[in-house]
Amino acid sequence: MAIRTDIIRVYKDVHGWVGICSGIALFIAFYAGALTMFEDVIQRWASPPPALAAAPSLERSPELIAKVLEAHPEAARSFDVHVALGPEQPARLSWTVGDAEHGPASTFYASLDTDGALQVAEQGPSGVAQWIDVLHQQVGLPFPHEIAMPIMGVVALLYAMALVSGVIILLPSLIKDLFAVRIGRNVKRMWLDIHNVLGLFSLPFHIVMALSAIVFAFHDQFYMAQGAVAPPPAREARAGGSPAPEARAALSPAEIVARLQRQAPGFEPLTLGFQKGPRGESVRVTGRDTRYPMRGATFGVAVVDPYSGAIKSSDYMPGLQSAGFAVLSSFFALHFGNFGGPLVQWSYFLLGLGGAFLFYTGNLLWIESRRRRERKAGPVAQSRSTRVLAGLTVCSSLGCVAGISVTLAAAKILPLFGAATTGWHQILYYAPFLAMTAWAVHRGAARSSAPLMRAAALACLAVPAASALALIGIGWNHGGATWWIDITAVAGAVLLFYLAPRAAQRAAAAPKDSVWSAEASAQAA
Amino acid sequence: MTASPSQLTSRPWLGKVSAALVLGFTASVALTGLYSLLSGVKDPFFDARGQIAMWMMAPLWSGFLSFCFFFRTGLRAWARLFAVNLILWSAFVALRFIQG
Repeated sequence: MAIRTDIIRVYKDVHGWVGICSGIALFIAFYAGALTMFEDVIQRWASPPPALAAAPSLERSPELIAKVLEAHPEAARSFDVHVALGPEQPARLSWTVGDAEHGPASTFYASLDTDGALQVAEQGPSGVAQWIDVLHQQVGLPFPHEIAMPIMGVVALLYAMALVSGVIILLPSLIKDLFAVRIGRNVKRMWLDIHNVLGLFSLPFHIVMALSAIVFAFHDQFYMAQGAVAPPPAREARAGGSPAPEARAALSPAEIVARLQRQAPGFEPLTLGFQKGPRGESVRVTGRDTRYPMRGATFGVAVVDPYSGAIKSSDYMPGLQSAGFAVLSSFFALHFGNFGGPLVQWSYFLLGLGGAFLFYTGNLLWIESRRRRERKAGPVAQSRSTRVLAGLTVCSSLGCVAGISVTLAAAKILPLFGAATTGWHQILYYAPFLAMTAWAVHRGAARSSAPLMRAAALACLAVPAASALALIGIGWNHGGATWWIDITAVAGAVLLFYLAPRAAQRAAAAPKDSVWSAEASAQAA
Repeated sequence: MTASPSQLTSRPWLGKVSAALVLGFTASVALTGLYSLLSGVKDPFFDARGQIAMWMMAPLWSGFLSFCFFFRTGLRAWARLFAVNLILWSAFVALRFIQG
């Protein structure tokens, strides 16, 4: 396809600049996002065996509810009864005090001991899986949610621009370059080929991610702008709570689950959220139906009448939605990859890692072409900014890999010190991340990439090592799917150990004016 | 390397991008507003079409940002997008008026 060369030139500039401005943030978002495909398995892997007595059966939950509400009346506003239990969700009943999104919130977990007496604990499942998810949502930024999200939105807009510009500059040579990965002496050509093939074949995935990320960042602003000009809504009474609660007896959780299953046979309820608001009472049932795209990351939602068990709102319920809401759910589901079970989960995991690699190669290419331009302009020594950027690219990526591994492995060790808090998990992510990045910027990409690859590989090995501590009686292993966490970490370590000597080779062989030359870095430092 | 005046260059990027950022956003709001009026959205939050209108902001706005580099200068980008806004918002106001 023929496109005017000046257009290609402009879009090459655009692609390079939006790419370099968003590449590192996108790497972190994609690496952490790939891991969140298995957020529930990670949470099980990381969560200690429950400290509470074994949970009472769902049939006995009315007794538990009554005892909790008697001892903790503040729970009446909103509490959750969990249908599906495991190490990642150990208690039959939990409630949260404070607003989870905008401030310190604490969640309490309740059970009944063998005598039927109430037990309440604040120590719940590990928060590390949720923290990796936050890292993904905030593209690795250590800021409060309100500040991080608009920055993420800007990154997502740059990402969308990078996709459009990337396609425009690839179009003229599309047929020629499509299946060509020229591995050989010209290293830059090889990286470019890999970047193109990877980008083109995962383009639909990236379009989905860019557009949904823009919405996740800016939905409030979009609604506000649209609401400012829209005609005032002709509000009908929303499906609210049931009036006159004292007139009828509320159903037990087991009965609600039974009646829900009669109405929606494929829907597997996970949690019943009992809520008492100004409009009355309702039960918000989160559950799974992997046959359909789901609105939440791993669940859909049914709003149920607590007195009749009838579904009041199926807007967010997989399989029972209207066409419009089904379309919307598919937007969310395409981001979360929550349809189709393990095959789709693993595909998304690989696409996510592939995306991270795409941004990594993109940054490498930018640095290489900048070197060529600088050489043309005269000075052969690398400019400070290019050197710093090369260090940042290589090592913030490796720092992110290492930081996530360290903070994950720590989940099995922190409880020993009574420090299994999100705060500690944040520190244990940012400490290796910042240390490795600072060291890399100081030493230069060439001299630091091989040692840092080995460091990241060791960090990956810390994950199975933490599991192995169970052999000497420290920590735990829940078996089953959680072994995949350890297996994947070992595979990552093997890959990094395999690549490290190659990076060292490149540093030794690279032209002296390259940021990848160890000799040049040594002179500059 | 000097480009002939009819050729695009990436030098005046700030004018183009700022035009797409501001006027591209308002044009997107107008387009989704037209969609909402035509499809009879009653409530932007709870109505499925209201939420779809919100989602449409993402491809529209990022589309303006991606294709604004086809404008020859920043000034032209502002002028053209201003005209686009004028047309879209006139249509929106007229349609709201007709629908009462």
